[in-house]
Amino acid sequence: MVKPRTIYVICKKEIQSLLNERTLILAIMLQVFIALFSSFLMVGLTSMYDPAAISQYSHAEYGIGYAGNDSALRSYIDQAKDLRVFPMDLSTGLEALSERKLSAVVYVPDTRPDATDPIKVTLYTQQNDLQSAVVNIRLKEVFIAYEKELRQVRAARLTEVPIPLKFPAQTGGSDFFEFVYGLLIPLLVFMPAIISSAMIIDLITEEYEHRTLEVLLAAPVSFAEVIWGKIAACLVLVPIQAGAWMVLLQLNGIGIQHGPEILLHVTAGSCLLVLLGALTALHYRERTSAQFIFSTALVIVMLLVLAFPMNPLNLIARLSVGAIGGEHWVILTGVLAAVLLLSLLTTRYAGIITRRFIEG
Amino acid sequence: MHLLAQTLTIARWEVKRSLTMMRRDVLPVSIVLFILLIAVTGFAAQNGMHLEDRLYTIGVDDPVLAGVFTGDARFTVATLPVDTLLQGTGGYDLVVTRGQAVPAPTQRGRAALLTLSRDYSRYVNAVYTSQPDLFAAYPLWIDLQNVKSELDFVATQSGQQVAAAPRADRMPVPEGTVVQVSTPPAGIDIAPDQLRQQVASGSDQNDQVARYSDLLSKKGVQQQGDFKIPSQISPPLPFDSIILVFVFIFPLYFTSQFFMMSIMNERVERRGEPLLSTPVHPVAIILGKALPYLLTMFLTATVLLLLMHASLLILAALFPVILFFLASALIIGMVARSYKELSFVSIFFSTMATSYLFFPSIFANVHVVSLISPLTLIVLSMQGDGFTLADYGYSTILFYLTSLVLFYIGVVNFGEEQLFSQHRLLPRVREFIGTALSKKRPYLSLFLLNLLLIPFVFMAQMMTLVLFFNLPMPYSLVLLIITAAFIEELVKSIGLVAFLAVLPDLFTWKRLVPAAAVTALGFLVGEKLLLLVTLTQITESVFGSALFTSLQVLWMPLLLHFTGVLIVGASLKAGGKRGYIPGLVLATAVHTLYNLVLIMGWSW
Repeated sequence: MVKPRTIYVICKKEIQSLLNERTLILAIMLQVFIALFSSFLMVGLTSMYDPAAISQYSHAEYGIGYAGNDSALRSYIDQAKDLRVFPMDLSTGLEALSERKLSAVVYVPDTRPDATDPIKVTLYTQQNDLQSAVVNIRLKEVFIAYEKELRQVRAARLTEVPIPLKFPAQTGGSDFFEFVYGLLIPLLVFMPAIISSAMIIDLITEEYEHRTLEVLLAAPVSFAEVIWGKIAACLVLVPIQAGAWMVLLQLNGIGIQHGPEILLHVTAGSCLLVLLGALTALHYRERTSAQFIFSTALVIVMLLVLAFPMNPLNLIARLSVGAIGGEHWVILTGVLAAVLLLSLLTTRYAGIITRRFIEG
Repeated sequence: MHLLAQTLTIARWEVKRSLTMMRRDVLPVSIVLFILLIAVTGFAAQNGMHLEDRLYTIGVDDPVLAGVFTGDARFTVATLPVDTLLQGTGGYDLVVTRGQAVPAPTQRGRAALLTLSRDYSRYVNAVYTSQPDLFAAYPLWIDLQNVKSELDFVATQSGQQVAAAPRADRMPVPEGTVVQVSTPPAGIDIAPDQLRQQVASGSDQNDQVARYSDLLSKKGVQQQGDFKIPSQISPPLPFDSIILVFVFIFPLYFTSQFFMMSIMNERVERRGEPLLSTPVHPVAIILGKALPYLLTMFLTATVLLLLMHASLLILAALFPVILFFLASALIIGMVARSYKELSFVSIFFSTMATSYLFFPSIFANVHVVSLISPLTLIVLSMQGDGFTLADYGYSTILFYLTSLVLFYIGVVNFGEEQLFSQHRLLPRVREFIGTALSKKRPYLSLFLLNLLLIPFVFMAQMMTLVLFFNLPMPYSLVLLIITAAFIEELVKSIGLVAFLAVLPDLFTWKRLVPAAAVTALGFLVGEKLLLLVTLTQITESVFGSALFTSLQVLWMPLLLHFTGVLIVGASLKAGGKRGYIPGLVLATAVHTLYNLVLIMGWSW
């Protein structure tokens, strides 16, 4: 018989010892670190690859040296925002570039727009310079415009033209959205589940390796109660951590929809993982083997699950942006059924172990 | 010779024991899991990763375009009747009607538009690359050439802001002598079919998994010459190098976990006592225990490289990483008090190490900062660019040095007293460092300790460099200066804290001054030595000058380091444990001010 009261006592003891050892703090620091790093990275990358963001604090004009044959490209560059053309010969331009007096130099050969050969423009930029990354992006737009004009000139030679589609002018969409909702939120929210499932293995194998199991079983608690107490301790932490993440993200201005549903999915998913961890630990009784087998199996399960549409991580992504109907409840029910099955298995397994133990 | 024989004996033992200690079904189960892993990887590669599925709902009235966008799992595509007129976007995140894409005025709509525009340009490219006349579809080709700028570092000192664009309000006139350069030829000497393939492979990034597998089989990255069509200029950052982390770094890290457990197991219930009582030297024990894992890691890496037909030169880049993992596994296995602690510390460590390896490599083609990670060497090698010996030294020396120091600390602490003590994590670390210090020659060991800690300081500072490198210019510099100062003050205080804990009465007020002096000296000597050996490349950029100021004058930084240590030491002496944090903050403030005056005074 499994008594909730005993489970509660054991759960409290395990959490107490976790807090005592300050390992929990390490775990939380870890998650903060990851979040910090990724957000820094995103801020940096968006500003680097979105010229509009950079020009907010640099109103400078970039000087571009233009050498070689005169062409329509020159006026394209001159019309571009923040770019300015200086016609000069190539050698002078390159020297000025290496002295950082120019941001880039282009050389245009003497090829007619309607020639059979391509027009090969040589673009010189500074090596290993972030600024040349910015200039490259602006020049890219210029080149694309020029390419379009040239393609028009040679249009008669094309056999098929793509269906035209017009896009509105710059709307400021960025990769930030997909990164945050498609990757960061599902990962952050699921991280506590993975940490908890690694923790349950440690908690159980520790009893075996330190030979404290005899003492425990001599006390008026059943082995199943001990295991469930440990599982409860690991599980309680999951929604707390995941919830804290969501609150933090909200405070950061990243709106998350369907918060409660996400927490439900995460808790159910971590139930599954923690139970699997507990079963592995009960089977192997030794940390090296248990952790090894479990983490390999975890990678396999994760890969497999991610290969299917409507997997929990995808559901969380869709829930958080609100792009989902009621279908996620079906998945949740399925996960809960699996949890129920594993719970019964765990309780029975613990019973078998106790019997074996008593029999010697 | 004797030591070698001992090492080999221990290594044999270790192999035998790890094979017998595992339960009988571990090996078969792991073989089954391994086969499953391969099968699942193949399955996932075919099915794709469904992480961002159906984030957007879009309506499209053109059946051909609808077909194009259905290929992207991120869209839920609804086909609208031709020439539909909608109120706004009719509940969709984006609608494509009458040849015009209209996003909903939401964040999601804008993101959908970006994704859609990329899909569309892939479609356009696919149409154009199948054209018989390639140069009609792609009339413009860009030849990218790099010019090395020699003024990077000098510019900061002459009052220019490096990140800002050069002034472009009047015709630039070069100051140096103009070297006559012959103009590049007008033609492209590569066959059109090869170019066509290159454009096709460049734009065929629809399938994420294909992109990854291409990266591994070198199909995607290798480019003939530097000719690009306009839309291929400034390629997206190689986020894909994360796949290299998975392929190379994780298996290595995984194996090091077994070493960590083996060390930890010696400590559980004092199991290692018999081994310690034999006349085997700790060096032999540690090396012997590490050897099987080292060989396994090396073999794994070799097999992986052979499977991918990659250059075996990459092994040279992976070797220091292997050493570093083993060294840290040793220390973590020696300090953790319980399995829980072991798990957390090692997860924490692995995240740090992985970020240190991964994030710089994103910038592999953009900035020299990327070279602080050996992973960049791998990226470069896979791209077919290769790396020089200087690059190699630059990106691996910190790994070699830190591993050596960690091994040393592990060896001197590999005794009963330290292994079986049940102290908490931080006091244990302090004890470990305390043991490494000589009680008879405190000043000398303080000097040496600080000298040896330098590689760690550099690693930590490199980490902040990569972190803040992303921020806009003035903030990144200021944050960098503050954290660099903090890290230096923290590390310099380690020796003092360890000593005060081990021998509280040794450090009187009178002795604090020389102690601070040797600490500062050791720190400075280490800093300069390492700088001389390696970091010339990075010191040439403005970020480098923030981290490693004062290459020119030596007495000023010495005085600065001395003051910092003295502040921390004094407040420790006066306030005990409670004085530590305030002392550290004050020292950091002083250090930061000094750096700000030095750098800002010169550059702004």
